Amino acid sequence: MLADVNAWLPPLGDLRLFAPELVLVGTIAAVLLVPLVAGRNPLLAGLIAMAGTVLALVATGGLAPRVADGPQGAFAAPGYAAALLADRFSVFFKLLLFAFLVLVIWLWLTGAAWRVTRPVRVGAIGGPEFFVLLLTSALGMLLMVGSLNLVVLLVAIETASLPSYALVASDRRSRMGAEAALKYVTFGAASAAIMVYGISLLFGRFGTLDLGAIATHLAAHPGTADTAFWIGLAAFAAGVLFKIAAVPMHLWCPDVFEGAPVEITTWLSVASKAAGLGLLLRVVTVLGPAPLHVEVATPLAWGVGVVAALTCTVGNLAALRQESVKRTLAYSSIAHAGYMMMAAAITLSPTAGGGGPGFTAVVAYLMVYVVMNLGAFGVTALVVWQTGSDHLSSFTALGRRAPWLAVPMAVCLFSLVGLPPLGGFTAKWYLLVALGKGAVAQPWLWILVAVAVINTALSLYYYVRIIRQMFLVENDALPAVPAPLGGVALVTGCAIVVLLLGTLWFNPLGERATILSERLFGLATTAERSQLAMVAPAADSASRAESPLTGAGVSG
Amino acid sequence: MLTIGLTHYLVLAAALLCCGLYVMTTKRNAVGILIGAELVLNAAALNLVAFARYGAGGLDGQVATLFVIVLAAAEAAIAIAIFVNYYRVLATIDADRGDTLKG
Repeated sequence: MLADVNAWLPPLGDLRLFAPELVLVGTIAAVLLVPLVAGRNPLLAGLIAMAGTVLALVATGGLAPRVADGPQGAFAAPGYAAALLADRFSVFFKLLLFAFLVLVIWLWLTGAAWRVTRPVRVGAIGGPEFFVLLLTSALGMLLMVGSLNLVVLLVAIETASLPSYALVASDRRSRMGAEAALKYVTFGAASAAIMVYGISLLFGRFGTLDLGAIATHLAAHPGTADTAFWIGLAAFAAGVLFKIAAVPMHLWCPDVFEGAPVEITTWLSVASKAAGLGLLLRVVTVLGPAPLHVEVATPLAWGVGVVAALTCTVGNLAALRQESVKRTLAYSSIAHAGYMMMAAAITLSPTAGGGGPGFTAVVAYLMVYVVMNLGAFGVTALVVWQTGSDHLSSFTALGRRAPWLAVPMAVCLFSLVGLPPLGGFTAKWYLLVALGKGAVAQPWLWILVAVAVINTALSLYYYVRIIRQMFLVENDALPAVPAPLGGVALVTGCAIVVLLLGTLWFNPLGERATILSERLFGLATTAERSQLAMVAPAADSASRAESPLTGAGVSG
Repeated sequence: MLTIGLTHYLVLAAALLCCGLYVMTTKRNAVGILIGAELVLNAAALNLVAFARYGAGGLDGQVATLFVIVLAAAEAAIAIAIFVNYYRVLATIDADRGDTLKG
């Protein structure tokens, strides 16, 4: 066994499946090394990061046809399931993350170019280290959605988390940044430690670190879903819920989002949550829906449902009394994570006819959420750069002082509420339809429908408060707010897309999301996963025989 | 004569876990909280090695332990850098003293 492992080398083809990650790693190296030749230039580092990300986005697009026929396992040592997976699910999330990363770097570049011409009021962040950390956290998030191996997932979550802690403190003179980073790192260390303990329990119970193998084992021996399994799974979930910022692991989120530089808040509010949600969906898809798993899926569905309802309600209630716009948006992002987790609960309901509508809802919601959240944070960033504060009073009379910022902000905020004819309404519509369809088979889902509707009404108050401050409160003494053209283009683009998603793209979004979710999850069932686990080592040994180097190792 | 078996290791790891959780929840000093987290990580590492030795998992558990050790080191490095920065700004590493952000 030991000799066999020693002799094994991954086939070269496996590396091609991870071209996006490799491009990103190359970019990280370039960002670090180029300053040795060209000198320390923040703008240059930003441009290299941007170019590398665009290249990685293209590489991900090129990966799509390769995984069109089904999931591809990679790095499967003999006798083991694949350590990494490339499938439509991970390709979708990678495209989303890379596209978002491009926009965040664009936002940063806009701000950096703008600051050169302005008196600096907010601590400037930038430099090669900044982009190394940003890209490394992106790398971790990519890996989070591309594996079922518990150790790989652990490494991925930590790769995403550790640079994020440092990014929050990247403005080293900021008192709020230092405090936010301290809270983030202590919370993160605690939840990661608990997650590792959960992994050790799962490993002890099943003798494997592969979630697919655990699911297969559970299907074959229903009695193994015992206390040790549930404690292990709950402890593992602590780490995942930390990334999503779901109740009860949400306490870090508002402090970190308020204290971090606004570009980093933008990045974390979408990317960290999207990756955590992707991980959660993958875990529940593997453990849940197969018919043999009722005794696992039902408690799991209840667990996810209760956490989703709590997350949503806590987020919205806490947002009601915030004075800081960043903090309000942080609580709003907690609430939106709750809505998306509701859809995850439907996918687990054993008799709800599979997860189809639930997955469609998650995919549609994520696509809309990325755009409207970027718009809202983008405007906040532009206001913070000029006024030096994100307090509600900085937004006073913005409708007069900077209509080109106030109008996109209003569109994005109304969309976050979920009012028609905006994208947020489309997302909520698909969510409620999916919940309703699920509730026909599982009456307890009506509770989630009620929670979602009540929360939407609650959230109206604090979003509209910002809009009221921008348009109805007048103060003639305040000067106009100039803004860089690139930033205005970004937020206006977001507002236009949000508007289109609510009107012309209403049906296309649903159709696209349905196609995507069918493709994403059609092959991700437990049966096919375990089949993949069986096939992968065999396929690997075939390719190993072709390679003289590894072939010799095996015979020796 | 007493034979040391899986149970002994698991009980020790559980005791470490409880110590770690206690330290994490009661300490105000940020370094203390980090030490608590390290205790929990060590409990998990001990579990993994014990299960690898006595359970069905084989080498997987030991490989996982190596990863856990590396992650613990990386986490401590980042955490202590952040604590130093916090100290420079606030002249304390008491986690409770950072109360600018709340609500």
